[in-house]
Amino acid sequence: MRAQLMWRTLPSLVLGLLFLSTPVMGSCLDKDQELLRQLQKQADIMQRTSMLLHPYIQSQGLDKDGLKEHCRERPGTFPSKEALQRLSRQELLRALDTMLDHVLHRLMALQRDIPKAQDLETVNRAKQNIRGFKNNIHCMAQLLPGSSERTEPAPIGPGTSPSPTPTPDTFQRRLEGCRFLHGYHRFMHSVGQVFREWAESPSRSRRHSPRRGLRKGARRVPLSRGNKRLLPRGQLPR
Amino acid sequence: MALFSVSKTAFLLAFLSLRTYQSEVLSEPLPWAPESLKVSVNTTSQCLHLQWTVHNLAHHQEFRMVFQIEISRIKTSNVIWVENYTTTVKWNQVLHWSWESKLPLECAKHFIRMRSAVDAAKTPGPRVWSSWSSWEEADVQNSLGQDPLFVFPKDKLVEEGSNVTICYVSKSHQNNISCYLEGVRMQGEQLDPNVSVFNLNHVAFIRETGTNIYCKPGQGDGIKGTVLFVSKVLQEPKDFSCETQDLMTLNCTWDPGSDTGLLKQLSQSYTLFESFSGKKILCKHKSWCLWQVAPESQDMYNFTLTAENYLRKRSVHLLFHLTHRVHPMAPFNVLFKNVNATSATMTWKVHAIGKYYTLLCQVELYGEGKVTQHNVSVKVDGVHLFSGLEPDTEYLAQVRCANGNHFWKWSEWTHQNFTTVEAAPSEAPDVWRNVKIVQGRCVVTLFWKPLSKLQAHGKILFYNIVIEYLDRTSGSEVLSIPAPASGTELPLNQCSSQIRITASNSVGTSPASVLVVSREPGNEEVEEERVKGTEDGFPLSWNPQPRHVTGYLVEWCEQPRDPPCDLQWKNLGPNVTSTVVSSDAFRPGVRYNFRIYGISTERVPCLLARKTGYSQELAPSDNPQVVMTNLTSHSFTLSWKNYSTESQPSFIQGYHVYLKSKAGRCHSGSEKAVLSDDAVCCKYKIDNPEQKTFVVENLQPESFYEFLVTPYTSVGEGPHDAFAKVTTPDEYSPTLIRILLPTVFCILLIMITCYLKSQWMKEKCYPDIPDPYKSSVLSLIKSKENPHLTIMNIKDCVPDSIEVLNKQEGTRKSFTETESTKPTYLYLLPTEKRYSSPGPCICFENFTYNQAASDSASCGHVPAPPKAPPSQLGLLTSPENLLKALEKNYMNSLGEIPAGETSLNYVSQLASPMSGDMSNLPKNPPEPALCSEYKMQMAIPLGLASPPSSGSSSLSSITLLDEGERYH
Repeated sequence: MRAQLMWRTLPSLVLGLLFLSTPVMGSCLDKDQELLRQLQKQADIMQRTSMLLHPYIQSQGLDKDGLKEHCRERPGTFPSKEALQRLSRQELLRALDTMLDHVLHRLMALQRDIPKAQDLETVNRAKQNIRGFKNNIHCMAQLLPGSSERTEPAPIGPGTSPSPTPTPDTFQRRLEGCRFLHGYHRFMHSVGQVFREWAESPSRSRRHSPRRGLRKGARRVPLSRGNKRLLPRGQLPR
Repeated sequence: MALFSVSKTAFLLAFLSLRTYQSEVLSEPLPWAPESLKVSVNTTSQCLHLQWTVHNLAHHQEFRMVFQIEISRIKTSNVIWVENYTTTVKWNQVLHWSWESKLPLECAKHFIRMRSAVDAAKTPGPRVWSSWSSWEEADVQNSLGQDPLFVFPKDKLVEEGSNVTICYVSKSHQNNISCYLEGVRMQGEQLDPNVSVFNLNHVAFIRETGTNIYCKPGQGDGIKGTVLFVSKVLQEPKDFSCETQDLMTLNCTWDPGSDTGLLKQLSQSYTLFESFSGKKILCKHKSWCLWQVAPESQDMYNFTLTAENYLRKRSVHLLFHLTHRVHPMAPFNVLFKNVNATSATMTWKVHAIGKYYTLLCQVELYGEGKVTQHNVSVKVDGVHLFSGLEPDTEYLAQVRCANGNHFWKWSEWTHQNFTTVEAAPSEAPDVWRNVKIVQGRCVVTLFWKPLSKLQAHGKILFYNIVIEYLDRTSGSEVLSIPAPASGTELPLNQCSSQIRITASNSVGTSPASVLVVSREPGNEEVEEERVKGTEDGFPLSWNPQPRHVTGYLVEWCEQPRDPPCDLQWKNLGPNVTSTVVSSDAFRPGVRYNFRIYGISTERVPCLLARKTGYSQELAPSDNPQVVMTNLTSHSFTLSWKNYSTESQPSFIQGYHVYLKSKAGRCHSGSEKAVLSDDAVCCKYKIDNPEQKTFVVENLQPESFYEFLVTPYTSVGEGPHDAFAKVTTPDEYSPTLIRILLPTVFCILLIMITCYLKSQWMKEKCYPDIPDPYKSSVLSLIKSKENPHLTIMNIKDCVPDSIEVLNKQEGTRKSFTETESTKPTYLYLLPTEKRYSSPGPCICFENFTYNQAASDSASCGHVPAPPKAPPSQLGLLTSPENLLKALEKNYMNSLGEIPAGETSLNYVSQLASPMSGDMSNLPKNPPEPALCSEYKMQMAIPLGLASPPSSGSSSLSSITLLDEGERYH
């Protein structure tokens, strides 16, 4: 039990430390390499099911054989990895921001069905993580070219409506919440992978390379160099 | 009788006519039948709501009517419910009635119809019903939607332990649908081909978020389910009470009981209703609520507290007068004034409650393990004087208050500490002494016990000691010993003195303790008595002193084995003659010695009694170290004189001597004993603990014994651990030793005596022959420097015969007569007739002697058999001669014949080196009677002597010596 609590608390602590260097207070880190690394780490932590999904399953009694198998992401709720890869970097960041807004909205709805303070605290920590991640996205978007231009939300293929209408039935709402959280963790995993691809192949999307998108006067370190040190070439996280 | 028959017939006719009338009425429709029946379904509450009207009522007409309602399920013929609903019906009234279905209404169609009748409960006879209304259908399934599967009811809230019916509705005509309750499959019954029902009895609370029930087809992902919220039963609030602290606000509290265990939005709520004012508030908290009091407008309150949730409502009531529920706030500003050694004044303030209320305050004082309590009436300020306090003592004072007019509750306590100031010690220190004489001087060791807190009245800083010598010539001495010392050693100038001890703190000095010391040790001859300790201690008693004493004192050592012994004492009054000395330091198996003194009026202690004892006697743990002495073949002695009976864990009553032997017989004075290891031995008992020797007797010689000496006490004897082993010696060995040793000694003495005598005889009878080479004659010759003058050397002499003269004596005559009538010759030179007859004799002529070789002047001829050793000579064949022949071994190499047999007259004195030193002569000289006669030897001039003839004589002489050596 203690180990489980520690397993839940430690990532939050790490995220908290990460947020200290993020533009929570209004100032962004001007090192895109550093920022991208932070986004990767945040996505790695947010993809862990122990952060949200597992506590939710336990509190709602969904951890039963024949039931937990149905706690799977419904296709279309969150964009697939391929859909994310197809987006330009600006589009991806905008899509991420939009998706995470929906997630926040949905988490607030889920909180109403959570009676225990401990589980509520888990959801609150997850919401803080999402807000921190959104801040970093905001900063990263500013480092990309054309960031000053406000564009429409990017089309992210099938399943662009991540918020299905909640059913009034508690059981269905519970099951949908579980599926939603499952999709959320999968989505964050995909986001982390896409961020890694950004770091490993900066030339793949040369048009929107952060290197090219550096604003004038700002000192930048190429993302590819910095991330080669973090992840050897060819080694992709699962 | 006839009259009775007529009246009976008339009654029957009247009854029949009435029945006929009623039949006619019933055959007609009732004018007040239910009309416009409408049925609606509430799936949340699973209720059917019925609504209808009754027409044809007059404007002000009211009837009490009964409506009979029938409900059928699935089909009209399957009536599942019939109920008579009675109500008063007015003109143009819409009537309502509800029915809650156990089965979810979505699971099956329901049909409802009703009829009515005038409630004629006061009218005898059967009720006349209207005709039935048409069947109204309630079908929810039509509005379910297009999903293939549904599970009902949705989100139902039930209490723990209730029964619930679950159903599923399948629209895909699948028959292999399975349903589960928290993962456990449920078994249901089929209501129709698309509907199955599951009855859950006594549902249990599982979690706050409800119980998951779900169904899924055998194929596909169409899982559907519902959540059953099971609530614990709402409990009635307990201990509902309201009180006020300031007559402004009422604080009502209660115990809500166990939680229902539901989500917050489903949890119960509490409302407070006051009937006199008609006010009602919804409480924000589960266990308390605040009610604002209208000032001076209402004294009585009647509260109703209602706990309510979706399933149940519970209420409790409370009626009270406001002033009877005053719970004052805790006093404040508690202070102490005028604090001295024995008193202090306490003041405090209270919160005012209206203008006319008096508070009753309770003051408690804790100190020195005691509690005192006082009640004080207070309007605003409270004052109380504490007296009789102990100096230098910390006290805890606390105060609380309640309504003095109508007691309801005490306020909370308000605490405050204070400490009284110090005072002079009130008691003299308890002092005792130990007097000893060291090098003629009295040395007093004083001991005192620290004053108790109640006696010291403060921190003792030092002890004052004043020594006053009683002869008034030595003056006095004053000492000051800093605390916390508990004793000191004082060498006195003289023994007779009076010592005064006082204790001082920062305020003053205590009364003095007085001790008188004298040189006389007191009555040390008092006999020691034994005392038996008990669980309570040592009971000691003594005889009262005939002369006046001011008290008694008992002295003992708590650590008698460890010096210093931790001297303790106990003062007792003059009328006390017994006491019990107890101490936690008393240990079993330790001997404690008590001395009881009588303290005279002059403060001189006099020893009255000595007691010794054990708080608990223990069996000896060690046996004496035994030394065995005087071991004989029949006895031995055991001794353990070093064994101290004083330092044993119990009083030694004597000793047991165990003796093991193979024989196993026990002699008188002993008895057989069987040891713990089943060994049998003899036990001797010694009753005197001071007898530390024992003689074990009646033993068998050359026998093995084991023995053990162990002390015995009233609680047992020592351990039977190691037996010592001993084997008795042989019976005759000592006797033999006693005989043999003196005999050997005597023989040795005789031998020594004989030797000394022989030496003496030798000196007297045959002194040593002087060495010619050492003669003074040689120096004379040398002085004349004549190299030719020398002593005749044997090599210069050519002997031709030796004459042996035998002197016949005594019993030897026969021998003489037969053989020794003629001289015996030894033929030294080879002759032709050597083997046949005596050959030419070799004569030695010693010219150094002025006397010829004896008076015979002839050389001795010794017959020399060619091969036979001398032992084969007839001379040695007899036993007498054997000894003489042995003695011959001690003769020198000159081939002397034993003197007893022959008298050898030296013809020539050989200058052999071997004969030169007479010290090499045998120890056994010849008997004086047989001794040869030696003449004074003198050197003669060379001309008087014949020169030595040849060197061969020397060879012959050596040969002779060799032969003589061989015979030895």
